[in-house]
Amino acid sequence: MTRLDVCRRFVASVRHSTELGIEVLEAHEDRVRTRMAASPQLVGNPDSGIMHGGAIFALMDQAGGLANACLIFPSFEITPTIDMRVDHLRAPAPGKAVICDAECYRLSQHVAFVRMSVYEEGDEEGEMLATGLATYMRMKLPGASKVVA
Amino acid sequence: MTDGLRDLVAACRQGSEPYQALIDRVPYAAFLGIEITARGEELTFVLPKRDTNLGNPTLPALHGGAVAGFMEQAAIIFLLLEMGEPRVPKTIDFTMDYLRAGHFRDTFAECRVTRLGRRVANVHISAWQVRRPEPIAIARAHFLLSEESATEPPE
Repeated sequence: MTRLDVCRRFVASVRHSTELGIEVLEAHEDRVRTRMAASPQLVGNPDSGIMHGGAIFALMDQAGGLANACLIFPSFEITPTIDMRVDHLRAPAPGKAVICDAECYRLSQHVAFVRMSVYEEGDEEGEMLATGLATYMRMKLPGASKVVA
Repeated sequence: MTDGLRDLVAACRQGSEPYQALIDRVPYAAFLGIEITARGEELTFVLPKRDTNLGNPTLPALHGGAVAGFMEQAAIIFLLLEMGEPRVPKTIDFTMDYLRAGHFRDTFAECRVTRLGRRVANVHISAWQVRRPEPIAIARAHFLLSEESATEPPE
């Protein structure tokens, strides 16, 4: 089983992430790339049609958890979020899918430190839509790997 | 040009439309299933127990992103209804502290404006499930406000 398999199984097990339409595109040891399609139900401003910041927050939170899974692969842990800050640099164009890259840049014994970057699909080398910084608790739950088995 | 949401906000504030009508106009709020209750002028937001908002499959717990989205949306509606902000405020930043597991049950939220500047509002949001003094999450967010006030007549 590869990192990508683990990430996809993980997301498939999280009901709200599947409702949001979150997909995993790439999974490397130091970085994971996720995607969320624009959908009418994720619109936050009915006058402009722009996606809700909360949906982007949820994508970033999920991507952060995946980044942890990538780093500790082939082991697997449940890592609830301790805290997360998102800066919304600019709004995505209405109807555009968003891409979130996440990277766990420090893994201590109990805490994982993650940063995220969000782009418009097709502009992954361009200007960011949002940045995020989060910490996650490494819960040593026995049997956690059953989630992705 | 008329702003669809602005007319609805004004109607809600005058009492000719229920507050819930505003929530129902925001697709993402309807997607999460958010409800709003008012006692006098005091607004409490409700995220009813719904399996589409579940996250961690082993617990089962609510998805942290669903709770955060609920709290961000609560703050936006709060600014629209209580502060008379005529347009949907833009989220500048959102900072979330998860304090307790969000169990699979109804979640409630209340908002407090810590500072209302001319262009920026600082809002504190608290969410709980069992008792208000035991929040499952607290958040702090900055919103960019529009320059016009709700009392100005539509152009």
